[in-house]
Amino acid sequence: MEDVAFRAPASPGQSRGEARTGGEAALRGKIAIWWFLASEIMLFGGLITSFVLARLGGAAGTHEPLNVTVAAVNTFVLLTSSYTMVEAFAAAEHGNRPGMRFFLAVTVLAGLGFLGLKVYEYSGEIAHGFTPGRGGFWSFYYTMTGLHALHVLIGVVVNSALLVMAGAAIRRPYRVELAGLYWHFVDIVWIFLFPLLYLT
Amino acid sequence: MTPALATAAAPPHQAAGFWRTYVVSTDHKTIAKQYLTLGLVMALIGGYLAYVMRWQLAYPDTSVPGFGFVGPETYNTLVTMHGTIMVFFVAMPILLGTFGNFLIPLMIGARDMAFPKLNALSFWLLATGSLVLVVSFFVPGGAAAAGWTGYPPLSARAEYTGVEWGLNLWLLAHAIEFAAFLLGGVNFLTTAITMRAHGLTPGRLPLMIWQLLTASVLFLLSVGPLIAGAIMLLMDRIAGTGFFLPDRGGEPLLWQHLFWFFGHPEVYVVLLPPLGAVLEVLSVFSRKPIFGYRLIIGGTLAAGALSFIVWAHHMFVSGMDPRLAMPFSITTILISVPFALIMFAMIATLWRGSIRFETPMLWALGFVAMFITGGLTGIFNGSAPADIYIANTYFVVAHFHYTLFAAVFFGGFAGLYFWYPKMFGRMLGDRLGPLHFWLTLVFFNLTFFPMHWLGLAGMVRRIADPTQYEMLVPYQYLNVFVTVSSLGLIVAQGIFLLNFFLSLVRGRMAPANPWQAATLEWTTSSPPPHGNWGPALPEVERGAYDYSFPGAAQDWLPQRRLAVPAIAGGQE
Amino acid sequence: MITRRYLFVWIWLLALMTLSLFMGVAPVARHAAVTLMFTVAAIKTVLVAVHFMHLKIEPWLIYAIALVPVAMVVGFMFTLFPDFVFVR
Repeated sequence: MEDVAFRAPASPGQSRGEARTGGEAALRGKIAIWWFLASEIMLFGGLITSFVLARLGGAAGTHEPLNVTVAAVNTFVLLTSSYTMVEAFAAAEHGNRPGMRFFLAVTVLAGLGFLGLKVYEYSGEIAHGFTPGRGGFWSFYYTMTGLHALHVLIGVVVNSALLVMAGAAIRRPYRVELAGLYWHFVDIVWIFLFPLLYLT
Repeated sequence: MTPALATAAAPPHQAAGFWRTYVVSTDHKTIAKQYLTLGLVMALIGGYLAYVMRWQLAYPDTSVPGFGFVGPETYNTLVTMHGTIMVFFVAMPILLGTFGNFLIPLMIGARDMAFPKLNALSFWLLATGSLVLVVSFFVPGGAAAAGWTGYPPLSARAEYTGVEWGLNLWLLAHAIEFAAFLLGGVNFLTTAITMRAHGLTPGRLPLMIWQLLTASVLFLLSVGPLIAGAIMLLMDRIAGTGFFLPDRGGEPLLWQHLFWFFGHPEVYVVLLPPLGAVLEVLSVFSRKPIFGYRLIIGGTLAAGALSFIVWAHHMFVSGMDPRLAMPFSITTILISVPFALIMFAMIATLWRGSIRFETPMLWALGFVAMFITGGLTGIFNGSAPADIYIANTYFVVAHFHYTLFAAVFFGGFAGLYFWYPKMFGRMLGDRLGPLHFWLTLVFFNLTFFPMHWLGLAGMVRRIADPTQYEMLVPYQYLNVFVTVSSLGLIVAQGIFLLNFFLSLVRGRMAPANPWQAATLEWTTSSPPPHGNWGPALPEVERGAYDYSFPGAAQDWLPQRRLAVPAIAGGQE
Repeated sequence: MITRRYLFVWIWLLALMTLSLFMGVAPVARHAAVTLMFTVAAIKTVLVAVHFMHLKIEPWLIYAIALVPVAMVVGFMFTLFPDFVFVR
């Protein structure tokens, strides 16, 4: 059945020749990453489910004052980094090494910026006495955003590795795509965390 | 996709040092043996804990030979760690780790896994997790003592069990173990999807592969919520959050849902690989095609899908909404249908076969008998009205061991005796094998069957001293009986270890295909060389179970396309 | 070098983000605002998944791997409603 499933081109670059995208290796990597992401969906899904249930049932308390401005800037930063990541892949596919390096660098900087703002946010909240032990809402807030920040950190490390080894990434552009799939997933998680924690 | 791979050249066989050959090897066969070694070592620890527990139950508050005095607190640790070790660090490494790593590339005609380095990483992560778990015995306060299910609030506060770092390390060990099997599962699936030999369509895959893949999918999709729960529990313990603690506004019940959403698929993660091994063995030693190949695949997938919607049958007495009891009873009874189908297919495979009672076959038959027994008590546990009476008693303990212990032991040994020649290049001694089987079968039943009676008499699980309860005093002779039998069961496993190591050095050299089996792995040498297949990858021209094929010169037709057609006129 | 399609998607994402921020302070009924916010989040997810993660051109197996867990999470959540939401 999978034989039929994969008759479609496995990546946008495949029409431009398998040599560039790596054909078999790219396909394997992509299937592996997607299975991994499936389990990640279940992980964050479990957390989000717990939060929604606690919130609707009242266990997570009511909405607490958070720094919406910083979070909105962070949302902008992460959405933009998703865009630059996919541009980095497009550049890598075209063999455009300076372009790929530029967009990867922007993505890494955006990830670091996100983490910096998050630290700023945390320190402000803790300074006001809103620690994880402060109640149901804060338990979820720190656990969910903390786990997400850990994922951002991993993504920053992976993207930095690609940036440092740009030559290898140009020869195997599918690696940029695989890192990108993970990065976009982290972005999607934030797309849900932002309204869940800050806006509702 | 596969033809592109078929041209891949054999990896060069280079002489590597001890370190690269045995320790950080990326060869899937070596990694499989590493999983086996780790699983057996952990089984010794888990078995030792079982022995101490049983002694305490039979002769409460006497000094256990080889351990010392067991108090109630220590008993909690024993129960917890026995369950954790046996399920996560014995059953999974041996059944999923060993069989998956060894068989997936060999049965699909690949040279190795899709990501060999990731594969080595998976094993070493698991080894690290095991180490963390073993170390947790020796930290101040001892190892985790909140049950293998770790229910809060008991598990959420150190002062409730007196265990501080032991339980944190227990959570950490789980996290590492899950990461290991997550990466392993991704590897299994990617390998089997993209690297099958030319001609090996899904409809020709050996059932063992179907079972291993279904188990991997179940694990990948179920473990997320439990990881989430474990993170939350750890936060409750070290960061003062209130997810599961009622006095901080938390919900203890939420943990149970998160745990069992994983927990029920997990028992199938453990069950399906030995089920696959039994299916292979039954077909080979009956010299008959497996009965209902497609039916079995359908049944496996159906059981896998259903396993995600039965979890709350573990929670009928938990205080969850009673409206949930009925739907979960129904799905639970429903899930026995696909398993009944598979059992019938097993028995129908035997029907009118030319049965060869070699050791693997004995274990496979033992599996069928014991698993059906365990499955029948599952019907009682699955229906809420009956379960509310027997929940948390030894009846459930008996049911659990008849299903899971039977799967791990009878199914696992069927597979181990069957593939041992392929793994190690020597035959297991065939005198000790049947002795091991018969002793295990007898002592297994003597150990676990009386537990049904104890449970119905009201003996609750996880109590350190049954004689404290007046109603249980008349049944204490049963506890003594069970303990003596369990000693027999443990000693009988010594026969296996003896056989295992003796055969490793003194066993008869194994031919490529000692059992005259049809699947791909039996067409390469025993043990297979590095790269598995020599210069050319195998090609497949038929299904996996063509035994006693009419008109064929020999009574089995290998899956692999041979230079000389095995049957006049060629194709199926 | 800019890919026009990706740029468009990015602009759409930013526009949707602004919309949900606006809904947080807009003088509309609470549940209407919340519903809209999560609709917006779902649309953003689809945009990222389809265009940035290339689901648009992926075979069905990848779709299944992506969608089955989402369906399972949603099912899990609703199954637990009687235990945590309807009790109070």
